[in-house]
Amino acid sequence: MAAPLMDIAVSRNGRRVLNVWFGILVVFLYAPLGLLLMFSFNDNNLPVFPLRGFTTDAYEAFAANAELRASVVTSAKVAAVSSALAVLLGLLAAIVLVRRHVFGKSVASALLLSPLIVPYIALAIGLLVFFNEASVSPGLATIVMGHVVLSIPYTILILVPRLARLDVRLEEASRDLGAGVFQTFRLITFPLILPALVSAYLVAFVLSFDEIVVASFIAGDATTFPLYLFSQLRFPTLLPQVIAVACIVMAASVLILVGAEIARRVAERRLLGEQAAEPVP
Amino acid sequence: MAVEAQKIAAPKPARGLRRPRPGFATTALLAPPVLWLGIFFLVPVVLIFLYSVNIFAFFPGTQGFSLDAWENFLDGSPFLDLFWKSIRMSLIVSVVSVVAAYPIAYYLALIASKRKYVLLLLILAPFLVSYFLRILAWKVILGDQGVVNTFLYWTNIRAEGDPVSWLLYSQFTVILTLIYVYVPFVALPIFVALESLDRRLLEAAADLGASRWQAFRKVTLPLSMPGVVAAFIFVFIPTIGEYFTPLLVGGVDGTMFGNAIADQFGQSLNWLNGSVLSFFLLVVVALLMGVFARYLTIRRVATG
Repeated sequence: MAAPLMDIAVSRNGRRVLNVWFGILVVFLYAPLGLLLMFSFNDNNLPVFPLRGFTTDAYEAFAANAELRASVVTSAKVAAVSSALAVLLGLLAAIVLVRRHVFGKSVASALLLSPLIVPYIALAIGLLVFFNEASVSPGLATIVMGHVVLSIPYTILILVPRLARLDVRLEEASRDLGAGVFQTFRLITFPLILPALVSAYLVAFVLSFDEIVVASFIAGDATTFPLYLFSQLRFPTLLPQVIAVACIVMAASVLILVGAEIARRVAERRLLGEQAAEPVP
Repeated sequence: MAVEAQKIAAPKPARGLRRPRPGFATTALLAPPVLWLGIFFLVPVVLIFLYSVNIFAFFPGTQGFSLDAWENFLDGSPFLDLFWKSIRMSLIVSVVSVVAAYPIAYYLALIASKRKYVLLLLILAPFLVSYFLRILAWKVILGDQGVVNTFLYWTNIRAEGDPVSWLLYSQFTVILTLIYVYVPFVALPIFVALESLDRRLLEAAADLGASRWQAFRKVTLPLSMPGVVAAFIFVFIPTIGEYFTPLLVGGVDGTMFGNAIADQFGQSLNWLNGSVLSFFLLVVVALLMGVFARYLTIRRVATG
């Protein structure tokens, strides 16, 4: 069955070309990151050839740098709060958006998703002008407010498909059995969408932790992690240290997100398995 | 994550809750997120406009309605040239990204069969890596004392002190770096479009005697166009206002419109001019979004 499709989709030579192109792109995507990682262990204050030898100095210097650690904590705080708010607001929006007939739905969804496309510089300037006009002094709170705007579309995009797949009969059954709206949400909907909520939270967290354009305009005296890294770029000898930290963060975010994705798949498969095992008569 | 979402949402089992007329409460749920976006996105946009016509001003006492800044900007100012330069650069970035990513998406969706999700994850994973880090990588690689040049000295291909200097701080660097940043993002919507392609159409084309090229040109390509267009605008529109990449690797030659905006609000402290530039950018973005609106619905974005 698969053979004729394969034949019409690609010739033998075409397949070879595509294989090679795929390989080239993977190298293009990973080589720069691999090089960074390599230089973070190189025994030299500058990231230049030739390699001099293996050392973990840069990583030890990071551990000793109090300012740097403080900026990581600052970013973690901002990310923790802003992603919690973004998940909450995204959940409210997603619940409405999966229902078909709501007045002004398309306008609302366009507005809520627009931060995906609008250049961050425009959002950043808008917030700068807004906080200036509202006499709100910039700082951690303003960064949080800005990051919520950026994260909402991502949380919606993760939650909408999950809510759309939810078997509506479960909620209806709960209501028929006398549960109220909130009780139904707490006992039925919430546990079912929990894995998606966790994914949404983590994606928003990583987005906020990493964000620099909006933060650089409304940070005030606060120094988030990316802002600290940026300020250190002026000193070339600190580069290996910056790279070292960035590598740690890279490893951590990949582990967190891949871990969360695996956990979500496992949890959803189990849920689907349970549903399949007990068919509704 | 998005991949998974798109994949599982495709069969559309129980779409939405079957309540034809939701009560006031349902619509009220939408209020907090919409208000948040209203306060922190729409109100600021209005304020930018008011600043751009000098109804509001940074220095108290200097305000008063005036279109001078707009006239200056639109009447052949260097900022307008910079805008067109940014459009050109964004176009190059988005076209190259789409052209580079299409074969990858095609390979994954139609040929790789069993391993396709693993391979897709391989392509998407760099997107999880810090934006800052990915740009930094190219700065380290392309500088005069960077990986490429020191490698060339070391191997005596170039003499020490004679670096290939256009590698860093040029338009080339900005374009290369942006392509690097966006390629994984571009592959995704195209993959989703190709994956949802009804394979029987290709079989039918083959049965009816179409060559591979004909089948691709008449069936596969047209049916994947929504994904291609979505991918294109998801790169093209945000990169017009790109700010951080040119700042880090662009130098003077690679400066883009976003840097001009940032400069007006930063060093130049000219909020009037800066607001004109920002609002102009927002208008362009809004127009482009309007033109491509049908590719930007939540259904298409969330479920392919």
